Amino acid sequence: MILPLLCSAFLFIQEADTLKASRVSGTRERPVLLPYEEADLRKEAAASAGLDDVLRRFTGVQLKDYGGAGGLKTVNVRSLGSEHVGVFLDGIQIENAQNMQVDLGRFSADDIDGIALFTGQKVLRLQTAKEYAAGASLYLRTAAPASDRISVKLRGGPFGTVSPSIRLDKLGARVRASSSASFVYSDGRYKYPYFDTCLVRENADIRSLRLQTRLYGKMDGGEWNMMLYTYGSERGLPGPVIRRAAGFPFSAERQSDQDLSVQGAWTKDWSNRYSIALRAKCAYNYTHYATHPEKNPMALPYDLRYRQYSAYCSAAQSFAFTSSLSADMSCDLQGNWLDSPVHGNSPSRLTVTSALALKFDAGPLRIAGTLAWQGAYDHYPSWRDAWMPSIGLTWEPRPWLGLDAYARRSYRLPSFNDLYYTLAGNTSLNPESALQLGADLRLSNESMAEGLALELRLSPYFNRVSDKIVAIPTISQFRWTMLNIGLADITGLDVRSVASFSAGRWKLRGVLRYSFQQALDHSVPGSLTFGNQLPYVPKHSATADLDFEWKGWRLFWETLFTGERWSRSANIQDYHIPSWSISDVALSRRVALKSGAELNISLRCSNVFGLHYQVVQGYPMPGRSVSATLDFKF
Amino acid sequence: MKKALLFLCTAALAFACTKDLEPSRDILLDGDKVDVGAYSRSCRKLFVLNEGGYGSNNSSLDFLRFTDGNYVRGAFRKMNPDVAGGLGDVGNDIVVNGNELWIAVNNSGIVEVVSAEDERELAATQVPTPRNIAFDDKYAYVTSWSGAFASSTDYSNPKGHVYRIDLATKKVEGSVEVGYQPEGIAYYDGKLYVANSGGISSQLPPAYAYDNTVSIIDVSSFKLVQTVEVAVNLKSVYSDGNGAIYVTSMGNFFDVHTGLYCLLASDPSKPMAVGGQPLKPEAVHVSCSCISDGTVYCIGTADEYDWKASHTYYLWSCKLNENSKDSFRVDLYPQTFTGVPYGMYLLSDNSNNKCLVLGDAGDYFNPGTVSAYDLANETKLWSVTAGVCPGHFAIW
Repeated sequence: MILPLLCSAFLFIQEADTLKASRVSGTRERPVLLPYEEADLRKEAAASAGLDDVLRRFTGVQLKDYGGAGGLKTVNVRSLGSEHVGVFLDGIQIENAQNMQVDLGRFSADDIDGIALFTGQKVLRLQTAKEYAAGASLYLRTAAPASDRISVKLRGGPFGTVSPSIRLDKLGARVRASSSASFVYSDGRYKYPYFDTCLVRENADIRSLRLQTRLYGKMDGGEWNMMLYTYGSERGLPGPVIRRAAGFPFSAERQSDQDLSVQGAWTKDWSNRYSIALRAKCAYNYTHYATHPEKNPMALPYDLRYRQYSAYCSAAQSFAFTSSLSADMSCDLQGNWLDSPVHGNSPSRLTVTSALALKFDAGPLRIAGTLAWQGAYDHYPSWRDAWMPSIGLTWEPRPWLGLDAYARRSYRLPSFNDLYYTLAGNTSLNPESALQLGADLRLSNESMAEGLALELRLSPYFNRVSDKIVAIPTISQFRWTMLNIGLADITGLDVRSVASFSAGRWKLRGVLRYSFQQALDHSVPGSLTFGNQLPYVPKHSATADLDFEWKGWRLFWETLFTGERWSRSANIQDYHIPSWSISDVALSRRVALKSGAELNISLRCSNVFGLHYQVVQGYPMPGRSVSATLDFKF
Repeated sequence: MKKALLFLCTAALAFACTKDLEPSRDILLDGDKVDVGAYSRSCRKLFVLNEGGYGSNNSSLDFLRFTDGNYVRGAFRKMNPDVAGGLGDVGNDIVVNGNELWIAVNNSGIVEVVSAEDERELAATQVPTPRNIAFDDKYAYVTSWSGAFASSTDYSNPKGHVYRIDLATKKVEGSVEVGYQPEGIAYYDGKLYVANSGGISSQLPPAYAYDNTVSIIDVSSFKLVQTVEVAVNLKSVYSDGNGAIYVTSMGNFFDVHTGLYCLLASDPSKPMAVGGQPLKPEAVHVSCSCISDGTVYCIGTADEYDWKASHTYYLWSCKLNENSKDSFRVDLYPQTFTGVPYGMYLLSDNSNNKCLVLGDAGDYFNPGTVSAYDLANETKLWSVTAGVCPGHFAIW
């Protein structure tokens, strides 16, 4: 066998299943470093859980959530900054050259099977070069069709939320196809406390439609897949809650989006030693942002339309020297074009990313070294490039004991906003650098007692983000610039423990997660903020999940705790955000009908105790709410 | 804008400042102790308005109490715990009028009137995006970016307005359309002088153009009577109380420097540039400014087009020559400053020694500092942490 294929029952999520080595069924290639966090959405208790519901419980992850169905949701891993987190949909990165932020609120959990988060390099064969270059990687794996079936789902939730979706899976002789459509409407009108009174969130409505078609097939001894994705939305941006004269609304801002993308991949094993993967993607994104001064006298008169185009292709090769030693080489080429009314001109960029990986896998010991290089040429013109090396190893001397460690340096390119934004951009910026050191200790006792399984993982880490791109004013409040002056040192420890117990038809699983994170600003010695905790990063956070199954019934409880935070790096009382803790509960029942159809009914109560809290200062989150989901597969 | 009026106000308030110092209800508030020395012993408080960050609702009112040298932070919120939301979002101007303190809270759409004695709210008047305030004896005049609220129908690039608020009732009584995004405003001899910046207009397609005009309003008819082209991106307006109207320009950050210009109330159609003729200032830059005893003081830096993080600032002053009326006396001070000068004010002692109070915005996200410099001895007297973006001052 070319690659050592070790059975790993608990590793249920793999990078892009559709691209996986297929020659030995039932076995899978293992990444050098196991995913830092993962979730199987097929097994998620409450079908109504969105990606954000899953991500927010991951250790060391801060989900920035502006509240409501239409509120921006971005993820920041171990305080690297969300720009460092590459989000990959079936192995191909989702890009936003304008601001480098990916709004996870746009992805429905309906079509996603699994999420995996990696901080170290995973080094699976035939990765794209961009995967090697991302500081942290969040993988979204779409659900491949397994049988001919139709799924219809209807979700009704609080604040006028209705979300019907349908999915058709069809298996042909050579091609498997899956199409889905989902619609979301929410009026977003939820109550929140405002000093002594209670207000209702206004202008927070959203409607969106997502259509997706995926094809999977085999051709000439290889595999291919293709995806066509469209998304359109129209939403209100409710703005921060501030003191506002009674007659004036907070906001009348509207935003509409249209996304269109097509992506495809083809992999083939030429021999037992040599494999190749080709991938390509074209994407178009249109955003219209308008403040509507005719409806809000406080609005500044902006009516802006942005168009982003991108084209991407990637070639990856994998060569196995021996059964335990293999090398990978990949090269990506990407073009980005932004048509913008506020960037003075329309910036464009050509990015080349190349990566070389060497992997040694000998059962209990896996070692990999990678080297990636990324160069970006902007037509303004400016040129910047960076080398990104990494090394990682995992040692599993006993079935119950695993150790791993990694060191890596990654960079993120400045976004178009950083470089070219009117009166703020700075074309001489360097890429922002992130040095990451991490280790894991994993213990488990799966073999010790009948029906009882325990797992414990301890993960200390140190990150240093330097040359951090920050916006600073120069000579006047109207003259801002972006500079590479930020420096942050992040020391943390993540703990995850899992206990599961099963007896007969009973199943009980509990997960406890705890994160300690000291993220200190070390930008300007002697300043008021030097040595203070970075904004929105809690020193302590924890989640506790309890999952109980009996026959087709399932009860899920989750409590999240976020420790005190500050909204500024000046850790003073004015910017203190007290700790909060919220709990969700979900009950679901699965009924298998005789015809082979399956019905899933679930009821979820979010924020059971109706606690009022804010993830981002000025953006209140909804209180208690109940939603129901009906999922019928036939 | 503000300091212009302050000059008038300080003159008018000479009596108020010297009357018996009675303890007010905010006497229990304390903060950092600073040594105020001999400056402004005749006044009670120096108010500092911290703008806060746009959308952060963290504008705050500080004051320095001269009697005991206490620098008190967040006085509005402390004295008005029942006002939901505190002072609000982006405090942009603060002016003393009698025993009232008028504050334009830009992104809250509120002109807040508080008692100068104890910072308690007296009235909160609704005005869309208020910027700066001037007074005559009957009305307060407030510049506003928003035209949508008033008569304008051009929502794609609306012109700004000046709102008139009755001093007795604190109610809005009409508005006049001026240029794009008006900023500073000053009253002199029956006329209002309004600086139009075009700060938003410059970001809007298709023209991407700053405004460059001063609008002159006759207060008795409350009508626009004249529009004078001065320079791009105008900011502050000061009246020296003697017929000279000073206007600062922020330049375009690219190939037009900042500068100071002067109009004579007798013939405002011929603006003069301070530092060179024709309108082309070469050595006098203005990052922030104030007026004191008829002299305009400015802090500026020469390398304005540089993208670097830190600049060295110098202080200079300007006064129109009384006799010739077409030339200026410009003085350069030896002291230099670093940081991000954001607002300034001058205090005097009995022998007319000057003390510069300078607000430093730091990184604009976190609290800045307020420092005092003795101009005669070139020394720093004191420095305290203020709120976010301490940019506006008023004395009572």
